[in-house]
Amino acid sequence: MPARQDISSILIIGSGPIVIGQACEFDYSGTQAVSALKEEGYRIVLVNPNPATVMTTPGLADAIYAEPLSADYVREIIAKERPDAVLPTMGGQTALNLALELYEAGTFSEFGVEMIGATVNAIRLAEDRGRFKQLAGELGIEVPNSALIGDLEAALEFKGQSGLPIIIRPSYTLGGQGGSIAETEAEFAELISNALAVSPVHQALVEESLVGWKEYELELVRDKADNTAVICSIENIDPMGVHTGDSITVAPAQTLSDREYQQMRLAAMNIMRKVGVDCGGSNVQFAVDPDTGRMIVREMNPRVSRSSALASKATGFPIARCSAKLSVGYTLDEVVNEITGKTVSSFEPALDYCAVKVPRFELKKFPHGHTQLGTQMKSVGEALAIGRTFPEALNKAVCAAEIGYEGLEELDMGYDGLDKMLETAHPLRLWAAYTVIRREGKRAIAALSTKTGFDPWVLYNLSEIAEVEEELADAGSLHSGSNSGEPGFDLLLRAKRAGLTDRRIARRFGMSAAKLTALRLSLKLQPGYHLVDTCAGEFSAETPYFYSTYGEIDEGDPLGSEAVLIIGSGPNRIGQGVEFDTGCTLASLSYRRRGIKAVMINSNPETVSTDFNISDRLYLEPVHPEFVQSVLQKEGIRKVVVQLGGQTPLNIAEELADSGIEVIGTSVAGIQRTEDRRQFSELMTSLGIRQPRNLTALSVVQVHEYAAEIGYPVLLRPSFVLGGQSMSVAFTEKELELLLHTQLEVDEQHPVLVDQFLEDAFEYDLDLLCDGQNVYIAGLMQHIESAGVHSGDSACVFPAYKTSTEKNQEMYRVATTIARALEVKGLLNIQFALKDEELYVIEVNPRASRTIPFLAKASGVNLVDAAVHVWTGGNLEELGLCTDGFGVGTPLEKWAVKEAVFSFERFERLDPLLSPEMKSTGEVMGSGDSLGEAFLKAQAAAGSTLPKEGAVFVSVHDKDKATILPIVQELSEMGFHILATRGTAEYLFTHGVFPEVVLKLHEGRPNLADYLRSGKVQAIINTPMGQFSQHDDEQVRIQAVKLRIPYTTTSTAAWATLQGIRYARTQQKLVRPLHLSKDLSRN
Amino acid sequence: MQKQVFLVLDDGSLLKGIAFGAVAPTVDEAAKQAEAGIGEVVFNTGMTGYHEILTDPSYIGQLVLMTYPHIGNYGDHEDWSESEVPGIGAAGLIVRSVYRGAVPAGRESLHSFMERRGIPGISGVDTRALTLKIRTSGNQKGMIVSPSEADTLSNAETAACITLLTGYPDMEGRDIVSQLQERREAALDQGLDEGKTAQKAEPARYSKKKNLHVALIDFGYKANIKRELIHRGCRVTILPAGVSRREVDAIGPDAVLLSNGPGDPAVLGGPIQLASDIGKNYPLFGICLGHQIISLAFGAQTYKMKFGHHGLNHPVRDEESGRVYITSQNHGFAVSGEALLPEGLELWMKNANDQTIEGIRHRKKRIASVQFHPEAAPGPYDTLWVFDEFLSIAQGGN
Ligand SMILES: Nc1ncnc2c1ncn2[C@@H]1O[C@H](COP(=O)(O)OP(=O)(O)O)[C@@H](O)[C@H]1O
Ligand SMILES: Nc1ncnc2c1ncn2[C@@H]1O[C@H](COP(=O)(O)OP(=O)(O)O)[C@@H](O)[C@H]1O
Ligand SMILES: [Mg+2]
Ligand SMILES: [Mg+2]
Repeated sequence: MPARQDISSILIIGSGPIVIGQACEFDYSGTQAVSALKEEGYRIVLVNPNPATVMTTPGLADAIYAEPLSADYVREIIAKERPDAVLPTMGGQTALNLALELYEAGTFSEFGVEMIGATVNAIRLAEDRGRFKQLAGELGIEVPNSALIGDLEAALEFKGQSGLPIIIRPSYTLGGQGGSIAETEAEFAELISNALAVSPVHQALVEESLVGWKEYELELVRDKADNTAVICSIENIDPMGVHTGDSITVAPAQTLSDREYQQMRLAAMNIMRKVGVDCGGSNVQFAVDPDTGRMIVREMNPRVSRSSALASKATGFPIARCSAKLSVGYTLDEVVNEITGKTVSSFEPALDYCAVKVPRFELKKFPHGHTQLGTQMKSVGEALAIGRTFPEALNKAVCAAEIGYEGLEELDMGYDGLDKMLETAHPLRLWAAYTVIRREGKRAIAALSTKTGFDPWVLYNLSEIAEVEEELADAGSLHSGSNSGEPGFDLLLRAKRAGLTDRRIARRFGMSAAKLTALRLSLKLQPGYHLVDTCAGEFSAETPYFYSTYGEIDEGDPLGSEAVLIIGSGPNRIGQGVEFDTGCTLASLSYRRRGIKAVMINSNPETVSTDFNISDRLYLEPVHPEFVQSVLQKEGIRKVVVQLGGQTPLNIAEELADSGIEVIGTSVAGIQRTEDRRQFSELMTSLGIRQPRNLTALSVVQVHEYAAEIGYPVLLRPSFVLGGQSMSVAFTEKELELLLHTQLEVDEQHPVLVDQFLEDAFEYDLDLLCDGQNVYIAGLMQHIESAGVHSGDSACVFPAYKTSTEKNQEMYRVATTIARALEVKGLLNIQFALKDEELYVIEVNPRASRTIPFLAKASGVNLVDAAVHVWTGGNLEELGLCTDGFGVGTPLEKWAVKEAVFSFERFERLDPLLSPEMKSTGEVMGSGDSLGEAFLKAQAAAGSTLPKEGAVFVSVHDKDKATILPIVQELSEMGFHILATRGTAEYLFTHGVFPEVVLKLHEGRPNLADYLRSGKVQAIINTPMGQFSQHDDEQVRIQAVKLRIPYTTTSTAAWATLQGIRYARTQQKLVRPLHLSKDLSRN
Repeated sequence: MQKQVFLVLDDGSLLKGIAFGAVAPTVDEAAKQAEAGIGEVVFNTGMTGYHEILTDPSYIGQLVLMTYPHIGNYGDHEDWSESEVPGIGAAGLIVRSVYRGAVPAGRESLHSFMERRGIPGISGVDTRALTLKIRTSGNQKGMIVSPSEADTLSNAETAACITLLTGYPDMEGRDIVSQLQERREAALDQGLDEGKTAQKAEPARYSKKKNLHVALIDFGYKANIKRELIHRGCRVTILPAGVSRREVDAIGPDAVLLSNGPGDPAVLGGPIQLASDIGKNYPLFGICLGHQIISLAFGAQTYKMKFGHHGLNHPVRDEESGRVYITSQNHGFAVSGEALLPEGLELWMKNANDQTIEGIRHRKKRIASVQFHPEAAPGPYDTLWVFDEFLSIAQGGN
């Protein structure tokens, strides 16, 4: 049957900002859906306020709205665009929930919009844990013993029957948010109330504990003719009790017999049928008792998911793309398998390799006892690696996760520490198990398996890695001292087949990695590349998607030196997320449009860049020098793009250049002049550009000395860090001492940079394009939070909103000077601070920055495409971006605001105070005719609703009182009830505002916390007093995050909030599509 | 200790690997009695089900290469065997990596199972390279062979292997079914009654149907075919491949099912004749080889495929309903194209990938057959309904 003719335009709902539990996998699924449906001739309308995504790139969908994902805004879009159908299954839980809300509000029926992909009924059946349980029971499939509760009494009753531990899972939340395992009587009540609070329907499921059981996921697709296929099975290495998103997983399932697997498969298909998903993808999750084989179904998601993205990359079967086709009426046997080009999609991929996923956590950023994993997802990203065997894939995946390990390595730790890790669900538990096996050999397997719930099959495979390492160690020590201290061919081959990197092997022989690589190459030991072909070699494949292995056939002829390699950004992490994937993806498309072959290397399975349709060739490999070099050798490629993938590719640029590879764009020397602190200072001095005063300390004494010399407050940072990691501010000597005690290590190996901290300074981000001569200022953005809040965490406004034209001109001038001095070819990012009318350069990044995708969308210029134009020999004048050597980008609408989005809800008890260390996971944008409109939209898109009325709580630092006064005055005039703490209240009182005094937490009750809980506060203005804030402030912030109450910590933010509120009161809701202001595609 | 073993192909290629399972014969031993370790090399893309595959009688005379690299992960259990008779099943196993660690309680390791069963295995092989080779140049003959001394195969030994392989019968034109009968009889003499063990099926799990008496003609039937019939309340009588029309009449079954089995269907003159004979009076059904025999009996032709279908993921479209099912398959021969079907037969099902014939029905008679394995074992349960369809045809429905 052909695609449906009765609909002609389709609205696709995106998933909004990246948060823990909902990351760029939905950029991947959304982008696939857009292209799959557009090629069928439908008009595609997209709504997603996340500018960092590929899917929001103008030109991909027919109309793109970067507007808030809320019922009121989407209603406006529907009213304007009048789509015939809405596809809600591509944007995660956010899109599903929003679609349900719109359905219930009658919006779809009002405008005659049909839901495709999944019916309302199916969504409800799958999402409502209680009804789902009943449905599975009717199919004769076991479910965990559980009860749906809406209050504590009911929960207590269940506890009476089943006893502890009990799993608590709120209804309708994502990534297991608010879920927990209650192990003690003491914590039970609090955990229940938490769960009820986060559930939008105030419900939770209490459930028997299956901790320690094996956990599985199946990814399915089903069409309207009831054809169903299981695309992939995934086995969690971490047993039940650790969220799938946090588990190390392997595809396909490894330890199920055929009968067990077929029963699971049938159960999954029957569930999908009964739920009624009849034109799209779903995932069904199972638990299996390792002792009895008893199988229990846990849940199903009637949409594409993080796991389906993983499954797509693990198998080569594009689930989202196929689901999109099914949603418009195709059947599976009508959708061609693009990988083979011959076979149809109604089949189940056969793998002849293992695909292992390793999550990436930010334990350093979210410390404070959050190291134990649980039912609530905490990881911020993941890496996938493919290997011919599990050991190879596992080692590659760990390496790809870029968490400081070259693979699954032995930990330098005693048994006490190891035991603690093994007994709790520690993120390094598998490392701990490996360490024990490395020390004790295979005989440790049985006991380890009992202790950890890792399957003996997994542990046996670890023992095989350990054996190779042991042999390497033997060979290493045997030869040490003699002159033949190197591994022979056979041993080296075995080590490579086990997935050991050259660095790791070299260590055993006390030689440099470079030397080992040279030895390996002299032995002709190069990796072979296998195709990911969905069919284990049964059919020849057309789509070139590769992974490396050793000692086996090498498929695919080299593309040759005319092609370019684009180095991706690896797993998502705080500071390096989807925005860099967007850059890499767009660059690939841009090169290809120019007839140049583009090859992608990346390890992040969630991304669009690892879609096999994006590049001429895709290598799913760790973004690690050894793997990058091997791909270059295999393809005979001489040119690499390092500017777009964030810091990861930049870090290996020098190494690549040293081996004779051409780094496209700005030279490595230019890069180093910005990255190396000393060179950078010299450059600034020589150009006469002001920097905050800074000194590098090599000892604790020096830190004190320099701090005194520079003057407090000072900013401290370890010199090796990225993304503002471990940066902190000391306002006094005492604070400095505490920092040196608790957070900072200083010695010759760990120098600490001591910077003058610019207090209360405005911060700016400037991105520019340069072709060596011409400079195009892509945009100058002013931050809302003052310097000291990481640029990635601060809201920013394009164009600058509170600066004189002279200062803007000065920044352009300085930027141009720096760009020309560095001979930048491509992109450059500069951060400025303005304090007391003096301009300082805080940092220069010789690459595409986080803000490039935002600017590209806000200004309507495809900046990456322009960069590729420069890299392929063009200049900026040809593009119409510069005249007389210079140009400046302006916003499409008058104002665009980018707001940071955090995932603080994931970390209870974590203080959401902003600092120089970045903590946000995602971003959204809002634009409009006034700053108020843009700000309001950005806030709404970030999930915080600015109030139109109600009460505002104010408590500010003395120095902020004067600035805050007019803001509070206006709020009061608008009719807001003002609440304030005693000191602030007194100040306001003397200036004619009459607030109600609210007690601080320690002052008695009812206090602010009580006010917050009972919904008596609609917004908070609270500026803190230094790095080590009061316990009170912290509690208030935590509460506010939990209750999603708008919260501002600076006076500028309070001012912007006022603008937003003012606009909100006009009740206007204007929606405008993004578009291009400059069409570069003719060049 | 790990022992070296070799895989020699008839094109002269020599692959080194590590031995597991039964000890592979040396070339001298093989020359005396060429059974274990020698055969046509076929690849199977199933990611589970190695045990069922190894014990599937249709694999007699074949070395099975598993394309999935980790084999043996979950151990083995005799209850999963499709035939419990040693010698009735695959002649050898070729894998990338075999699991040698602990298996769940009550199971045995793949190594120990294959050792007991007399099946040699070779691991550490670049199975992908070999698969691609078979895909491009078609099935090859091969043998798993132990070196007579040390751990290399001498040139003379290799040459001897190749001679042996050249002399080894081609699958095309090969009648393995009679060989199977001999082994069955030998097993019976040793007290191993396959028919009985397959009765160890669970009790009927399907709604009451009229208790049909089905004669299952044994060309190398898989135990699960019998189980599925018993689950449906059938009484099953196993008849040997050489059974005569008179013997069938003597037991008077309600339906006759021709089983799967190894080898070239075209040379099975007796069974083809029998099928055309009994098809006149009995509801007649076939699975895999049985399907080919029925097709031949009613005037269709069969041919040897380049490398066949062996796996658990083959899409089959029911041409009447348009539904597509994921099926378990294992065949190297197929019924020739749709256009060549004789008058009396109509196409029932087709492979959605390569459009080969997967099922036929007789236009007038109660006759139907399928190329794939509705009984699964291993593989998906999507087409178990085919048994219901057979039984309902037998009862006069349709
Ligand atoms: N009954 C249970 N016993 C033990 N662990 C559980 C149980 N239910 C869920 N979990 C664990 O919690 C994780 C998250 O639960 P799930 O219901 O899948 O939430 P989400 O909707 O976030 O996917 C699972 O991956 C599993 O490891
Ligand atoms: N000297 C300074 N004074 C005030 N704030 C600073 C200073 N240096 C850095 N910051 C703040 O710290 C943040 C991170 O510092 P930056 O050097 O940009 O590191 P990163 O490499 O993480 O971007 C900046 O965005 C800014 O808000
Ligand atoms: Mg889940
Ligand atoms: Mg910065």
